[in-house]
Amino acid sequence: MSKDGEKSGWKEYIWNPRTREFMGRTASSWGLILLFYVVFYIFLAGLFALTMYVMLQTLDDYKPTWQDRLATPGMVIRPKSDETYEIVYDTRNTETWDLYAQALDKFLTPYNNSLQTEKNKECTPDEYFLQEDTGDVKNNPKRSCQFNRTILEACSGINDRYYGYQIGQPCIIIKLNRVIGMLPGKDGQAPFVTCAAKREDTDKIGEMVYFPPNGIFNLMYYPYYGKKAQVNYSQPLVAVKFLNITTNEDVNIECRINATNIPIGSERDKFAGRVSFKLRINTK
Amino acid sequence: MGLHISTIIDGLYFFQIALHAKKGCCKTYSATQNVDYHCTLFQTEHKMSIEEVCRKYQTDIVQGLTNAKAAEYLIRDGPNALTPPPTTPEWVKFCRQLFGGFSVLLWTGAILCFLAYAIQASRSARSHMFDRLSLCLQLYLGIVLTAVVVITGCFSYFQEAKSSKIMESFKNMVPQQALVIREGEKVQINAEEVVGGDLVEVKGGDRIPADIRVVSAHGCKVDNSSLTGESEPQSRSPDCTHDNPLETRNIAFFSTNCVEGTARGIVICTGDNTVMGRIATLTSGLETGKTPIAKEIEHFIHIITGVAVFLGLTFFILAIVLGYSWLEAVIFLIGIIVANVPEGLLATVTVCLTLTAKRMAKKNCLVKNLEAVETLGSTSTICSDKTGTLTQNRMTVAHMWFDNQIHEADTTEDQSGASFDKSSITWISLARVAALCNRAQFKAGQDQLPILKRDVAGDASESALLKCIELSCGSVRAMRDRNKKVAEIPFNSTNKYQLSVHETEDLNDNRYLLVMKGAPERVLECCSTILVQGKEQPLDEELKEAFQNAYMELGGLGERVLGFCHVLLPEDQYPKGFAFDTDDVNFQTKDLCFVGLMSMIDPPRAAVPDAVGKCRSAGIKVIMVTGDHPITAKAIAKGVGIISEGNETVEDIAARLNIPVSQVNPRDAKACVCHGTDLKDLSQDQMDDILRNHTEIVFARTSPQQKLIIVEGCQRLGAIVAVTGDGVNDSPALKKADIGVAMGISGSDVSKQAADMILLDDNFASIVTGVEEGRLIFDNLKKSIAYTLTSNIPEITPFLLFIIVNIPLPLGTITILCIDLGTDMVPAISLAYEAAESDIMKRQPRNPFRDKLVNERLISIAYGQIVTAGFALGGFFAYFVILAENGFLPTTLVGIRLNWDDRSCNDLEDTYGQQWTYEQRKIVEFTCHTAFFVSIVVVQWADVIICKTRRNSVFQQGMRNKILIFGLFEETALAAFLSYCPGMDVALRMYPLKPSWWFCAFPYSFLIFVYDEVRKLLIRRNPGGWVERETYY
Repeated sequence: MSKDGEKSGWKEYIWNPRTREFMGRTASSWGLILLFYVVFYIFLAGLFALTMYVMLQTLDDYKPTWQDRLATPGMVIRPKSDETYEIVYDTRNTETWDLYAQALDKFLTPYNNSLQTEKNKECTPDEYFLQEDTGDVKNNPKRSCQFNRTILEACSGINDRYYGYQIGQPCIIIKLNRVIGMLPGKDGQAPFVTCAAKREDTDKIGEMVYFPPNGIFNLMYYPYYGKKAQVNYSQPLVAVKFLNITTNEDVNIECRINATNIPIGSERDKFAGRVSFKLRINTK
Repeated sequence: MGLHISTIIDGLYFFQIALHAKKGCCKTYSATQNVDYHCTLFQTEHKMSIEEVCRKYQTDIVQGLTNAKAAEYLIRDGPNALTPPPTTPEWVKFCRQLFGGFSVLLWTGAILCFLAYAIQASRSARSHMFDRLSLCLQLYLGIVLTAVVVITGCFSYFQEAKSSKIMESFKNMVPQQALVIREGEKVQINAEEVVGGDLVEVKGGDRIPADIRVVSAHGCKVDNSSLTGESEPQSRSPDCTHDNPLETRNIAFFSTNCVEGTARGIVICTGDNTVMGRIATLTSGLETGKTPIAKEIEHFIHIITGVAVFLGLTFFILAIVLGYSWLEAVIFLIGIIVANVPEGLLATVTVCLTLTAKRMAKKNCLVKNLEAVETLGSTSTICSDKTGTLTQNRMTVAHMWFDNQIHEADTTEDQSGASFDKSSITWISLARVAALCNRAQFKAGQDQLPILKRDVAGDASESALLKCIELSCGSVRAMRDRNKKVAEIPFNSTNKYQLSVHETEDLNDNRYLLVMKGAPERVLECCSTILVQGKEQPLDEELKEAFQNAYMELGGLGERVLGFCHVLLPEDQYPKGFAFDTDDVNFQTKDLCFVGLMSMIDPPRAAVPDAVGKCRSAGIKVIMVTGDHPITAKAIAKGVGIISEGNETVEDIAARLNIPVSQVNPRDAKACVCHGTDLKDLSQDQMDDILRNHTEIVFARTSPQQKLIIVEGCQRLGAIVAVTGDGVNDSPALKKADIGVAMGISGSDVSKQAADMILLDDNFASIVTGVEEGRLIFDNLKKSIAYTLTSNIPEITPFLLFIIVNIPLPLGTITILCIDLGTDMVPAISLAYEAAESDIMKRQPRNPFRDKLVNERLISIAYGQIVTAGFALGGFFAYFVILAENGFLPTTLVGIRLNWDDRSCNDLEDTYGQQWTYEQRKIVEFTCHTAFFVSIVVVQWADVIICKTRRNSVFQQGMRNKILIFGLFEETALAAFLSYCPGMDVALRMYPLKPSWWFCAFPYSFLIFVYDEVRKLLIRRNPGGWVERETYY
């Protein structure tokens, strides 16, 4: 076929005035096929909605069906810089560390003593704060224990607004990810955090202080009953203050949770039960 | 005969013109020059006296060439062999497999992947937006696509290499020998070393080593059938009988066979310059079109590319609107286009075609080109050569007339046919005449072979008689021994009879027996009596008329009729020891006793009428194209059903109504016997008219060029043409045809090279098997493609939702590849083993313009209905179930993507308030991928059962396809293996599923099965209804 013929063939395909066909179909043909697809898809959507509805009905409102992927809870540090776990600043340049101080301020606001006393209960330390349901009767809402900002003492930011950053003694706050129903520790032994430098940096890390003492997560903050049942849950924190860390050098630090009943996470997951970060304080 | 051969020359000229018009490139031009040059050479040589020829080649009529001269000529002219057609170098063949057709699509996909990788790599240097894993995936995908193309390329290359190896085994490995006279001595040399001017000697059974000018001959006959299609041997003599070199008796052509007698001649042309060489050269100059399946695949690529680009652009625009950056949008675009590429399909199609090719090879159809497998299936016209394909290619006695009655002889290959009454005394006499007046004899050392299989030295008709007599009366040799031959006058064209004198069997009887056979009218002239029921009766008018009627009737059947008579010479005139002088006939040749007629024909093969009938009911037009005489051609055509019973030609109608041919309305005649000479004068329109308006056509007396015109004519009318043939004269048509079918046993090398398929048993019926397999593979490829495509879209939708509603990616690249190249493969291939749904040989051949391999209905079904219904929804359902059961409800998921994919966010909160590290949630995501993958496998169970049939219910079709059942188990086992095998989490990032997650897709699997059963039910209930028009693919 010649080029011209092809061209007119195309034109005819798009709109054929003789048969009044658009793209090879008449209006009624288009109507019918579109109607079919509309009905078909509405039916499918309905069916999908139905199966989804049935599936959602099988779920528990307070506890997910599976938690096996959360056997080792994750650990996270604050302050957190943009995309990496690196805390790098210059003591002489206020702008570089002020961001961290502000981030910590913001993070710790919910832990202000006033807020905590207002919303949460003072619990008996060193034992789990169990609030079990009695059969089908839900014991809701569940109370939460106070975690007062003052527990963090030197790292609470109350006395030292800059959390020691300014003087090269920065505070890092560590938290353990929430997992519903998790009871860390065993036989009244609370889980605690220890930090250490990675191999070649051992002599650079210097002394550290943990707040609360020994870097423990008190047992009274466990178990967690979930967002819906335990609205005002305050996640326990541990602060680490580096007292005389080597400046002007990268120091790689790893903190890990110590609890007999928390399995060591997989090698692949760098944040399960441990957290690594880099600290570099420039002074010159 | 003369006219017929001259058309070859016309053909050659025609070619020159056609080639000029077509290309006009210098290479063609020089080839033409060659042809012209040698045509002139010819014309001088056959007309030159022998001395002049000798002078020209500086040779000697007795001594031959000197060895020095011969060596010089050999260097000048090159060896005496046909230049093989320019063989494509192996690497070009390999590259063709690597970059042809479907592979282009995959290559494009791979290149796009590398492109996307390059873009992302250069970007990620600046930002961390794209994480390294997804970056590598683009690269992996590119590499996998490349690997797929290369591996399937290698596979089909080796497949074709295998069949070309079988091809090579056809070539005669024993070098042809020639007897030449050089420096006065006879020497056997390799035929390749024969040079122009050589004095050669040929005898019965030899192959002519070059084009030779005959200088002396003794009863020499040559079989030109491979050159002209003429099955009758022609005699050769030193005299120039015609101006046209191709018609004159004094030239014998290269690669034809000398049937009997001896001849001596001077070589005038060698190798490519011979007539045979030039036809072979012309063949290799012809261009052939694409195979139908290649066209279909091209069309399919267009559709797929269209869909891919359309989807890609739509979501490119959408991505821009949603606020993604240009670069991200481009990467999405590439991603979607690549996801649309069905990676596994190329392999599936190749394997399906290979399986069919193997199945066909088992049924004696060797396919040279893999794509040609399907071509036979779409064939709508078969142009079949007569000799050797439709017929047995051996003269056989078909009828006899004696005792005033026509008797039918058994012509079947296995002697299963009816026999006649052999007790008549007349028959015994007739058999005796036929046995004695016969120079043919069986070649030695074949006693254990069945008579019909034995080789005979001698003329075709005499061989036929010999075998006939041997079959019905026992050893002819013994009979001849008992009746010693005393004298003989061999057949010549002036006498038109052959005569011999024998002693009688009865030792007491000293009379001589004179036996004669020949052209019936000549034999009858010599007779005065006739043998009826063993008694001699005077030959009166009544009996003469009976003879005439029988002769006419047998002649009308296209048979070659011979008359037989004998006489016992009176002892008083011819006493024992009488010296019979055959040159100056000194004995009685009149007043003989007529015994009977025997007629011979090359009978059709037993399986052919059935096969032709099958072709007809399959809507395939069978056209006979032969070099033979129209009457013979017509008789065979009627015999095998090419002209079916009750259908008349124009001539038949004219004869029946007793009106001139010109008064018959040509539209009344469905059948047509067209003579080659008429064909020459026809315009293109008239040709089209003949082909269009006659359903049953026989072309007789056709030249190679006319065969080509016929093929082109059919193709012009839109037919897909298969041509069968064995001779060199068929090879241009074989090449031009959509599928050329050569004969494995009788076919010439040139024809095998030109063909796409070879019938190893030379049997036309094998073609029908081929058609059946071809049609089946077309249907099954449709099913395979429908099956493979349905898993294609669900691979894109997850990506689309990932972009649009920002949910975690539901299906990853690795899992997509696991589907396309893993679980989908065996079921897709198993569909190639699916039995036909209905009698595929009862429907019309597919219309190449309308019945496409992949049409919009298939796409609409695959993409619009099955996919969304089963795959996407089933997969998504599993995805949502897993995430919800792990704590991420659908409401939380929407918009979560940025945080979800943020590596530094290790406390991402779920719906319940729990916090997840990056790795923890990624494991859940990959578990979702695995579940999506498993869901697709589950839905594919239903899909493969759906795709099994296009019209029938699966309950009608049954589940007899064992490979398919194996495929079902295999894909399930593979899916389970990928999910549960330890180490898969590291290797492929696939995680074990909880048992309940396997069942997520079950309702959807069931749904699409029911949906499709209903659809097929509606199609069956309302043929031609809306459902069929919109959804039957």
